[in-house]
This record gives sequence, structure tokens and C-alpha cells, in this order.
Amino acid sequence: MIEKPIERVAKATPTGMARQIKGLSDKAVAWLFVGPTIFLLLAINIFPLIWTINLSFTNFRANRPNREVEYVGLRNYERILTDSDTWLSMQATAHFLFWTLLLQVLIGFALAWLINRKFRGNDVWTTIIVLPMMLSPAVVGNFWTFLYQPQIGLFNYVVSFFTGVDPSSFDMLGSVDLAPWSIIIVDTWMWTPFVMLICLAGLRSIPDYIYEAAEIDRASKWRQFWTITVPMVLPFLMLAVLFRGIENFKMFDLVVQLTGGGPGSVTEMASINLKREAFEKWRTGYASAFAIILFVTVFGLASIYVKALNKVKER
Amino acid sequence: MQNISKSFGSQSAVESMSLTIKDSSFVVLLGPTGAGKTTTLRLIAGLEKPDSGKVTIYGRDVTHETPAQRDVAMVFQQYSLYPHLSVRQNLAFPLKSPVLKTPKAQIEKKVDAVAEVLHISHKLDNKATELSGGEMQRVSIGRALVRDPAIYLMDEPLSSLDAKLRADLRLELKRLQSELGATVLYVTHDQIEAMTLATEVGVLNGGELVQFGTPREIYESPSSLYVATRLGLPRINTLPADLFPAAPSGARTLGLRPEHIAISEGTAADGQAARVTRVERLGDQTRLHLKLTGHKVITLADAHSTVKVGDALTIQLKDPLYFDRDGARVERGNK
Ligand SMILES: Nc1ncnc2c1ncn2[C@@H]1O[C@H](COP(=O)(O)OP(=O)(O)O)[C@@H](O)[C@H]1O
Ligand SMILES: [Mg+2]
Repeated sequence: MIEKPIERVAKATPTGMARQIKGLSDKAVAWLFVGPTIFLLLAINIFPLIWTINLSFTNFRANRPNREVEYVGLRNYERILTDSDTWLSMQATAHFLFWTLLLQVLIGFALAWLINRKFRGNDVWTTIIVLPMMLSPAVVGNFWTFLYQPQIGLFNYVVSFFTGVDPSSFDMLGSVDLAPWSIIIVDTWMWTPFVMLICLAGLRSIPDYIYEAAEIDRASKWRQFWTITVPMVLPFLMLAVLFRGIENFKMFDLVVQLTGGGPGSVTEMASINLKREAFEKWRTGYASAFAIILFVTVFGLASIYVKALNKVKER
Repeated sequence: MQNISKSFGSQSAVESMSLTIKDSSFVVLLGPTGAGKTTTLRLIAGLEKPDSGKVTIYGRDVTHETPAQRDVAMVFQQYSLYPHLSVRQNLAFPLKSPVLKTPKAQIEKKVDAVAEVLHISHKLDNKATELSGGEMQRVSIGRALVRDPAIYLMDEPLSSLDAKLRADLRLELKRLQSELGATVLYVTHDQIEAMTLATEVGVLNGGELVQFGTPREIYESPSSLYVATRLGLPRINTLPADLFPAAPSGARTLGLRPEHIAISEGTAADGQAARVTRVERLGDQTRLHLKLTGHKVITLADAHSTVKVGDALTIQLKDPLYFDRDGARVERGNK
């Protein structure tokens, strides 16, 4: 007779345990294994989500847990969508997203392309370039506040060295015009290596013989780049953009470290706004509704994007 | 190509090879795996730099030119298609080279025509990765055929196809080549391809060109035992030269192809007695496995031969080939 897998397991298990496992179907054993994971997932992901949805219809305030909670219907949503602050914070997020993605893709791809040309010591360069990514955002934010110091900051010094303007004549973090860029610069400095690594993986996945065939087919280096390199790296690049996009949509740590949302509220991105509502103004219901709106936005954008990504991959 | 040498580290892949390919000829290089066939083609294409020697095309020294400047088309052994492009785009790729400035309508016409020849018209809009191995190889042949280069280089283009398709395409390639008057350098390990396609055959052994000539010359008067064993089906039989009388001096080995063997049934006065050990009936011919004083000999008989296992036969020789101790050919004329 052929042994069932479960019987083999039972045989190989100490008698005490075997007695307990025996009699359970394979399906029951399977559930036994995934059960804890599913429970944890429900407890720390799904349940809070449902609870947040529930709260978003109330006027609950977490700093006054004893106050009676009233259901206010869609009023929170209505107020958020008609509030000009919301739209300003969304605009700040969009501005930040657009420029960080653009810069990181361009610089990351260029770096990957340079690193991929097999020159001596390129692995050392890779390591050096990747370093910023390995630092904690809190540390990065902290030391960039020093680099951005108008009087002693290295950043201002370097800029003045190349452009000749007085280093103390501009304050990256304090100026309304420059503050959004200060965060974009730091995020790009920190995360371009990530995009570079993914692009590098893409470039390395293109076999040499494709280029040899193109060489024989009399395609110039320029044409090889646009008809072979770019299309074949594109899926990788889009994946990097997806990761960075989702990450940066909820950008929080660098902003808190660098500008705290200021000056005024020019760098108050959606996540900063949300945190203010939830933990400074303690409007928990309102903040929950805002969180749901953000969640739906990210989810929607990401799904559309993933569809596009799959199309590119199929091509 | 003159005195080309190329080695990879201590491994020598091609050794001072010289080869002249005449315009409109179909030259086949025949050699087993590792003989340096691919390396030879890559040297001519410009994908490898020779250690020494030079390559000339129409009298122009191209040794230091890029593959694009040389204007060669190549079919790679591993079908190197552009995986992100459709079959149509793959075929059109070489035509879209700005060097050529081919008009769009003409590109389409050419692609369709080549697809027709290679029986891949119905797959034109497939992605290159959605093809079987044979189809990929045909596309890769097509990508060379759409062009009109100084020379077509083909690296075992038919080896991954099934027997029927291989036979069809062999004929098709030959027809196309003579129609277009194209110059082709084709490498293969398949002797049938070499014999049927070539106007001239070069036999490679360990990176050296050991003989170059028309298929007839190579078959009928191989310069060495090695060359003789590369051509002919069934393979040439090799026996000690002194088994039969009348061996020329210095001969060590006797090479017998089926046409060198005359069989008569029963025992005869002159000739060697042999016994049939196996009869293979292949339909159009019959292969006889014989035992000749302890040596195995394989020869052919006609399809309706009535010879049975165990029969005694007598073998006589008709102009066999003799080779000396080093495998070099020994002429028979001076007995
Ligand atoms: N890129 C390479 N690096 C090292 N050795 C190589 C390389 N290409 C070919 N060789 C060696 O050169 C010899 C000839 O190879 P190749 O030309 O590919 O033979 P063929 O195509 O006749 O099978 C082989 O011994 C092979 O191992
Ligand atoms: Mg090869």
C-alpha cells in the first residue's frame, strides 16, 4: 500500500505528537500551519483597516475616549474633499512625487548604464553609490539639516562654489520656494541608488548576444540603446517607479526631520497633514476618513500602474 | 582571410587559417563540435579580434573595422532574436538601419517575401519569445536573408530543426543562394548539409583547415584519414593495409567506402572471405555488417538483396584509399 504524505509525517514524528496529528486530514494540517499567519494578518492589517473605515463615519476623538461617539455619515469625507488644505497637501505630495520619480529614474538609469560598462573597479563604485540607501532616514534627515545650514552647511558652500552666490544668501529649509526642493534633493540622494540597482539588474539581464546580433544588423550604438536597451530595461524601471512611488506617496520621515511641514505649510504633504489631524488636533474620525481617501488613491493609482506595467511586460 | 589565429587563454580556437571565398560561392566549413567553426565566423564578422592575421573583403582590409562597417549578415547558432520585438519587427530590424534608408513599403514587401520562403508568415505578429525553437531559428535565418550583404555567415542554422524541415530549408537555402548569387560561408557538423549545399567544402579539425575543395574532391580524394572519416554514410571502413595484397609502400591503413567494395556471393578465388553478421534493411538500401578476418566492415547492398545473416561472401577491392602512419593519404599509382 502506498503511504499518504500525512502517514509518512506521522511515522517520522515522535509518538506523542504522531498520536495527536494522526486522524487529522491533510487539509486540517495545512490550516494548522497557515492559521497563525492568517490570524496575525487579520489582527494587525485587516481588522484595523475595517475599524478605520468604521471610525471614518464618526466624530470620535482619541484623546477623549469617554465621550459619546456619534455617527456623522459622510460628513468627514465631505469636509475633507472641500477643504483647501487637503488640496494643498495633495499638491505638495504630487509635486514631490513627480520630481523625485523623474530625477531618480533619470539619474538612476544613467548611473546603472555607466556602472554596467565593464570598467575596472565598478563593483567598488556600486558599493559607494549604494551607501546612502543603507542609512536610516532619521539619520539622513538629521545630517542634511546641517548640510543645509546657510552659514556652515556644506551644501550651501558647494552651491556657492559653483555658482558664486553667497552661501548665506539662501536658506534651503527656511525659504518657501526652496523648501520643497530641499526634500526632493535629499530623497533623490538617498533613493537614486535603489533605482540604479534595479536598472542594473535589468541591464545585466540583456544577454550580450543580442547586442552582437544588433551590431551585425548594422544598428548604431544610439539605435541599440533606444531599440534594445531601453525597451528591455523598461519593465524593471517601471517596477522601481512603482516601489518609489508608493514609498514617496506616504513620505513622512524626511519631511519631519528637515522642515516639519514648513515653512508655513509648503512642505506639508498628505501624510504630514494626516498626522496633524490625527495626533495634534485629535480629530480621529476626520483623520480616519482622510486615511481611507489616501488609501483608495494609492490603491487606485497603483492598480492602474500595475496594469500598464503588465502591458509593457507582455509587449 | 589570411593566417588568422585566435586563442582564448591557452586554448587555441583557430590556428593560422587561410581561406579565400570566391564571390557567389557557397562555402561550407565542416567540423565536429569545438573545431573552431563558430570562432571562425565570429572572426570574419568582426565580433572577435584575431590575435594575428587579417581579414579582407573584396580586397579591403577590414581587420580593424566594426561588424557594421564590414556589412556581413550572420545567423547565430543560438537564435539571438530580439525578445521584446515581434517576428515582423525582428525581420525588419536590419532593414531599418539608417545606413540603408530602405523605404517602408519595400521593407514590408521584403519581410513578407522572406517569411513566405521560411514558412513563418502566420507567425509574423507573434512575439519572438512565443515561438518554438525551429521557428526562432527560421526567423533568425530570415533576419539575415532580408539583407544583401557582402557575405552571409551561417552558424549551424539548421541543426535545431526537425529532419523534414531541415531537408526543405536546405533546398530552399541552396535555391536562394544560386538565385541571388549570394556569397555564403556556412558552418556545420552535418556532412549531408556540407555535401548538398557546398560549392566548396573546408574540413576543420582542432582549429585547423585540413582540406579545402569541391565536395567531390573531398569525398573522392581526401587528403587524410581524418577527412575521409568525416564524409560518407556509412562511415568509411578502416582496416590494416596489409589485409589485402597490393598495398602501396608506406601505407598503414586501408580506407574502404561501400563503392570500393565489390561483393560476390559464395567463395571466389581472388578476394577475401567475409561473413554477414547483420542485415539492416533501410528501405531504399540495405546495410550489411560483415566480419572480415576479425575486422568489422559495413557496406551497402541494393534494397532487394537476398543476403541473410551467416552467409559467406567474397570481397574484392575497387580503387580503395590508403593512408600512412600519420593518417596522410598515400597515392596508389606507383605500386
Ligand atoms: N569565448 C570563449 N572563451 C574561451 N574559449 C572559447 C570561447 N569561444 C570558444 N572557445 C573555445 O574555442 C574552441 C572552438 O570553439 P567554437 O569555435 O565555438 O567551436 P565550434 O563552433 O566548432 O563548436 C573550443 O575549444 C571552445 O572551448
Ligand atoms: Mg559552434
